[in-house]
Amino acid sequence: MIRPAWYVRKMTNTIHNPIRRFARITATTCLALCLASLPRVSADTSLPTVELNAEKMGPRQIEDLTSKSIPRDYAFAWLSMAQALDTNRKDLLGGYFTGLAKENLVQKIADQQKTGIHLKYEDHGHKLEGLFYSPAGDAMQLRDQAALEIQILDGDKVIQTEQVTLHFIVLMTPGADRWLVRDLETIPEGKP
Amino acid sequence: MRALISVSLLLSFVLTTALWSAELKVPPQVTAGNAFSISGAGSGQGTFYLIGPAESIKRQVDLANDIQIQSEEVEHVGRYTAITCGGDQCSSGHFYVHAAAPDRLGLIVHPSRVPVSNPNAISAVVFVFDDFHNLVLVPQSVKLTVTPTAGSSISESRNTQNGVTWVRLNSAPKGGPAKIEAAIGKASEIRVVQQVASDACNLQMKSSWMSGKLVIETNPVRDCTGNFVPDGTIVSFTKTDADGKTTVDVPLKKGIAKVEMPVSGQAHITVASGVVTGNELNVSGGR
Repeated sequence: MIRPAWYVRKMTNTIHNPIRRFARITATTCLALCLASLPRVSADTSLPTVELNAEKMGPRQIEDLTSKSIPRDYAFAWLSMAQALDTNRKDLLGGYFTGLAKENLVQKIADQQKTGIHLKYEDHGHKLEGLFYSPAGDAMQLRDQAALEIQILDGDKVIQTEQVTLHFIVLMTPGADRWLVRDLETIPEGKP
Repeated sequence: MRALISVSLLLSFVLTTALWSAELKVPPQVTAGNAFSISGAGSGQGTFYLIGPAESIKRQVDLANDIQIQSEEVEHVGRYTAITCGGDQCSSGHFYVHAAAPDRLGLIVHPSRVPVSNPNAISAVVFVFDDFHNLVLVPQSVKLTVTPTAGSSISESRNTQNGVTWVRLNSAPKGGPAKIEAAIGKASEIRVVQQVASDACNLQMKSSWMSGKLVIETNPVRDCTGNFVPDGTIVSFTKTDADGKTTVDVPLKKGIAKVEMPVSGQAHITVASGVVTGNELNVSGGR
């Protein structure tokens, strides 16, 4: 790669001049420290961790690509659901929800808009266990164990905060380029 | 001083805990679409909240009286949180709504067209729902019936697991529609799979001369069990003569593929459909 003469001269000066080199290293370190000390991105916008165990799933064997897509898309589904329920934005649900799951959440957001209630989720991760993968590969049923902190707010007032481990039965179906959550039902622990 | 701080901290913790963890008496489980009531949780006017899978309900209530939960407020299965707040104090409780009796079926059958005599070629997946579209997770017996074009129906009962059951079926040797029905109680769903001829079998062609041109046509193209291969299926004729190699793709019309080919000198002609090859012909140009 050909570099202009001024650039080569400048770099040579910097490398061979210890003061300049020290100044350069110090400036880079300061910049790195400043960036590190910036406030972190809100937990609301970070993807929750999702682990998938598909060892007992059948009758169809899960494909390598699908075993990567499911946890990724399920994490995005939870992120979009948490944001939609916090901000009352139904449009955020379209990307990763369909069918009954989407209808239920849309209804819930419509209720929230009427009542002034809204929910905040802090997602501490999900453990997915594959239950059923249809022979044609067009439906997958999973059980999820989710660690969550849920805040219920009426306007700005927090009326309840709880740390819970919830269990869900999840039905996912493939869309054009991702897996979509079609049904999401909370079940009592240890069931079904 | 230290003791005072400790006591204050303990007192504030106890007060906070009392404020948030006061338990509201709710039934542990409710059947979807069934009205019920929650016992009064205090006195005076207050606010009642019910947060469910598809609900965020808020209303003013008299805390001394029972709180009535309407049937349409608990139609969706899942975990519900009920909260009553009066003044600064809130009480809460959780309950699960489980599915009502099975009333609807979701039946997914794949594929919609299938070649005949194919083992495990058809798959049927059944989802059992209640009247409110909730998946019924308690095991249920679903009756699956397959009715071929010719012959009698075959039935089998399958138990659901987590609301789902499935079956794999062979396609019949004869082409035509096959009806697949899933039933539970009064609810039933039907899907139809079109069984079509498989690959061509014993592909044969013959040639004739017409106005100086070689006309080649196949015999009616059938699969190995005698079903006509559907019109539109491509048959390829390949001619090798002094001019080189030429391939013509022709769709079946009324079960036959037909083509006219100019020939110079000796020609060798082959025919194929998909992976199946047929007979070969050797002809002389002009004859």
